[in-house]
Amino acid sequence: MGWLLLLTILLPLLGFVLLGLFGKRMKEPLPGVIASGLVLASLVLGAVLLAGGGAQWAIPDWLPGIAFSLNLDHLSGLMLLIVTGVGFLIHVYAIGYMHADAGFSRFFAYLNLFIAMMLTLVLADNYVVMFIGWEGVGLASYLLIGFWYQDRVNADSARKAFIVNRIGDLGFLLGMGLLWAMFGTLGISEINAKLEENLFIPAGLGLAAFLLFAGAVGKSAQVPLMVWLPDAMAGPTPVSALIHAATMVTAGVYLLARSSFLYINVPEVSLWIAILGLLTAIYGALSAFGQQDIKRIVAYSTLSQLGFMFVAAGMGAYWIALFHVLTHAFFKALLFMASGSVIHALGGEQDIRKMGGMWRYLPQTRWHALVGALALGGFPLLSGFWSKDAILYSTLFYSVNSSVVFYVLLLATAFLTAMYSMRWFVTVFLGQYRGHEHPHESPKVMLFPNHLLALGAVFIGFIGLPEPFPNLLEGFLAPNLAHLEYEKPSLTLEWTLVLISALVALAGLYLGYRFFQQKVMPTWYARFAQASEHSFYVDQVYNTFLVNPLKSLGSLLFDGDKGLLGGFGWLGTLTAGIGSLLARLETGYIRFYAAGLLIGAVLLLIWGVTR
Amino acid sequence: MNLADITLFLPLLAGIALVVWPGLGRAFALVASGGVFVLALAMFLLHPKEGIAYLTQAPLLGPAGIYYAVGLDNAGMFLWLAVTLTVFLGVWMAPAPLRMVGYALMMETGLLGIFASLDLVLFYVFFEFTLIPALLMLGLYGGRERMQALYTFALFTLVGSLPMLAAILAARFLGGAESFLIGDLQNHPLKGVAASWVFLGFFFALAVKTPLFPLHAWLPGFHQQNHPSGLADAMGTLYKVGIFAFFRWAMPIAPEGFQGLQPLLLTLAAFTAIYAAWAAWGAKDWKNLLAYGGISHMGLAAIGLFSGTAEGAVGALFLLGASFIYTGGMFLFVGLLFERTGTMEIGPVRGLAKSAPALAALGMILVMSMIGLPGLAGFPGEFMALLGAYKASPWLTFIAFLSIIAAAAYALTAYQKVFHESENRAVPDLTPREWGFAVGVVAAIALLGLYPKLFTQLLQPLAKAFAALFGGAA
Repeated sequence: MGWLLLLTILLPLLGFVLLGLFGKRMKEPLPGVIASGLVLASLVLGAVLLAGGGAQWAIPDWLPGIAFSLNLDHLSGLMLLIVTGVGFLIHVYAIGYMHADAGFSRFFAYLNLFIAMMLTLVLADNYVVMFIGWEGVGLASYLLIGFWYQDRVNADSARKAFIVNRIGDLGFLLGMGLLWAMFGTLGISEINAKLEENLFIPAGLGLAAFLLFAGAVGKSAQVPLMVWLPDAMAGPTPVSALIHAATMVTAGVYLLARSSFLYINVPEVSLWIAILGLLTAIYGALSAFGQQDIKRIVAYSTLSQLGFMFVAAGMGAYWIALFHVLTHAFFKALLFMASGSVIHALGGEQDIRKMGGMWRYLPQTRWHALVGALALGGFPLLSGFWSKDAILYSTLFYSVNSSVVFYVLLLATAFLTAMYSMRWFVTVFLGQYRGHEHPHESPKVMLFPNHLLALGAVFIGFIGLPEPFPNLLEGFLAPNLAHLEYEKPSLTLEWTLVLISALVALAGLYLGYRFFQQKVMPTWYARFAQASEHSFYVDQVYNTFLVNPLKSLGSLLFDGDKGLLGGFGWLGTLTAGIGSLLARLETGYIRFYAAGLLIGAVLLLIWGVTR
Repeated sequence: MNLADITLFLPLLAGIALVVWPGLGRAFALVASGGVFVLALAMFLLHPKEGIAYLTQAPLLGPAGIYYAVGLDNAGMFLWLAVTLTVFLGVWMAPAPLRMVGYALMMETGLLGIFASLDLVLFYVFFEFTLIPALLMLGLYGGRERMQALYTFALFTLVGSLPMLAAILAARFLGGAESFLIGDLQNHPLKGVAASWVFLGFFFALAVKTPLFPLHAWLPGFHQQNHPSGLADAMGTLYKVGIFAFFRWAMPIAPEGFQGLQPLLLTLAAFTAIYAAWAAWGAKDWKNLLAYGGISHMGLAAIGLFSGTAEGAVGALFLLGASFIYTGGMFLFVGLLFERTGTMEIGPVRGLAKSAPALAALGMILVMSMIGLPGLAGFPGEFMALLGAYKASPWLTFIAFLSIIAAAAYALTAYQKVFHESENRAVPDLTPREWGFAVGVVAAIALLGLYPKLFTQLLQPLAKAFAALFGGAA
């Protein structure tokens, strides 16, 4: 039965190969239908296997001592459902969004490649296998960001994403090197089992955890490697939804959760995870305010929300981090695809200054956008509210790393989140239309997936309610996550906190709603917005102090290497001498020269052995 | 005489025939190189997968202890497959003059001999013989400054070889072996100062052919000046046999000599890897880029091998064989580009993906394999080398593998400038013949990347025995 698990990966991979080779000869929408169908098949197959109690499959000694092993348990099962479920909806949406694009079939080939690689990543039971998926999704992301490659900006963004991710990947690789040296295996279950039995807590564990975390920082666009994600919006909108919001960027969180048995033993590394997560959450939120591109606002909110997840992981609250992965997948995919519908309605316009008033023109998309924005802002009872509240709760009670500092700063960030999500909504949907297009609502094939996502964005949070309500998700994930004992607060305190986060979110939403309807912004805000629009100049700093010097050094080394030959001074002289001697020989005689070499060598040899 | 001997000398005879009567035509060359590949494939399938198969041993210079001893263990068999496939693809693909193809075939015999020799002197003969057709190709069909490149190449090789020759003689006579046969030599490993000197003697010749900094300096000029079809470059790539020779000869014969120098060797390998990758970022044309990229990869293989671990050795050998195929394939691919655009430069002609999507896809696969994307041929070797190297020196491993970031930078930048951005020239897409090449090289890359077990399980026992020489736990 195990091979069926492999099939969940092979189906979309087959789609990639098939569409890559023959897609051009197919008529629209056939490639889209095939691709969507294969993802749906993977979803069904995965769900059936999960319901049947999971599955394992392996090729032992795929590399010496390293098995190509897959494992479908509750943790990977949850991710599989997100990847194929949300992925399927996005595939369907793309059939409409990519209509009449010259690269229609190529697009779906890449999307299927992405799904296959993402499934490899989540189903892996060996760090190397995970790394295959890890870089595989990086490739798919590279191909999709640069999908419209004729535009230099898109090609540059794609390349940037790949290279920045590679920096993190080096950490992942070295982490594996250290784990291998310590444990003699890279099997995830095996390492977890050894750690869980507490038989073996090697000294280097903290370093290994830190190195793997470096990989997560790259993939999940955490400070300081966050610079690639906003640029990744150069790809078509379904890509932003699928890869750069719902699935791939949460791979870092998944890596931490998958390795929870490791991280639970190294709270000092976990503290760093939380700190970087907090910084990312704040940075993303502040940068979202000044963006003028409808998708870049959502992109920075993704950065920020990923930071929230990392804070939870740093607290040891792994199920909560995954809870936010789940709710975020719904409302963020919804936000992106609602943005896509707006872009679609306006003939490709992405600048929010040329939008406004869409409430009148887009009678269905407006509800999608509203639900998405409210869920992101943490409107009470919507999905984002419950998972964000759980994260705030974890910063106070969960582990040695919990502290009021995290709580207060994260609560403030949640307030900012509510404000900028209202800015997004108000600027695009309210007021007067400021452009010159003729907005029209999207076709059904694009609206239908958004209906389902909107349902999820509203209701999915109810599987992870605080006590005394039943918590389905925590129990579901418990067998596959490291368990942390902690002192639970009283119900009164817990619900007071719930109330506080509800009030903060409502206040943020209301203030945002009012503030961004003003015609003229106060000067302090305008100054802030300008810095925010440039994302506080991080890119410029990196380019000036890092990228350009490194690039110049490359040229210098290249030119210097040419001079290296001159460095072999004696050799140079010799070369010149022989060169002038041989200069009189015609090139035809080169054969004699070469033959001379052999004869000389043989003579030397004979002299050597017979002397 | 057995299948190995036939396969070994068939390309030489075919090559000579082709040089003498180019009228035999391309079909002849194809049948010869294809036949050699098929023979190697058959040998692989029939190979018992342990010990040395297809052994022929006969005294060549009996009193001197020199034998014609040829046979294939798993490592030799793996590299034979890689070499014969790459040569076949080169002959299939490259628009090279027929005489030049003849020299390439002659060179194939030398290469196969290097990997199959079980006698050190015989190894040396093949090692030096291979130089002749390489020089002929460069000298007869190279670019404007070929003579400069040729002298440099010849001098590096020959000057490097002299200490090796001395080391070869010393290895036997100082160690007290009865012959130059590998078994005899390994039973009399050198001790003390003698081991250091002998290893050092080997080192110069093999560092030139690995190549390791600073003895790589001949390579960029060699590629730069060679025929634009890429055939000679692919053959030159196959000639980078240093890693293998360290593994087969230098390190087992003088383990103490290696161990004395190990920190230095690891440092050198790490530096080569990052230095060359960085320099490749500054390259402005494909041949230089691939030359430096190739050097960088060999630095990674070397740090794996010099770790003295089983993982590292498996990684190094796997990476060597895989890089034969993808670097060789990349040079041939660049030949395709040159045929269409008339330039090796990166930049003047852009946006080729629009008019030639299949060509662009092939390029993408080759480039991704080159930068070690998991699932393709470059990754298993790099990764195993990393696992081994990490055990020997985490810091040097970190420095060496910084090159994978640089690799992404140089490879993707070059790819973008040729295939992406706004189109300024339309070129024809793959012809049926080129499709044949594409299918062959992609199949090999995918097989190596997706199911490395096929070969790593064969290399592993050899690597364990190798690591045991240095007290490394298997």
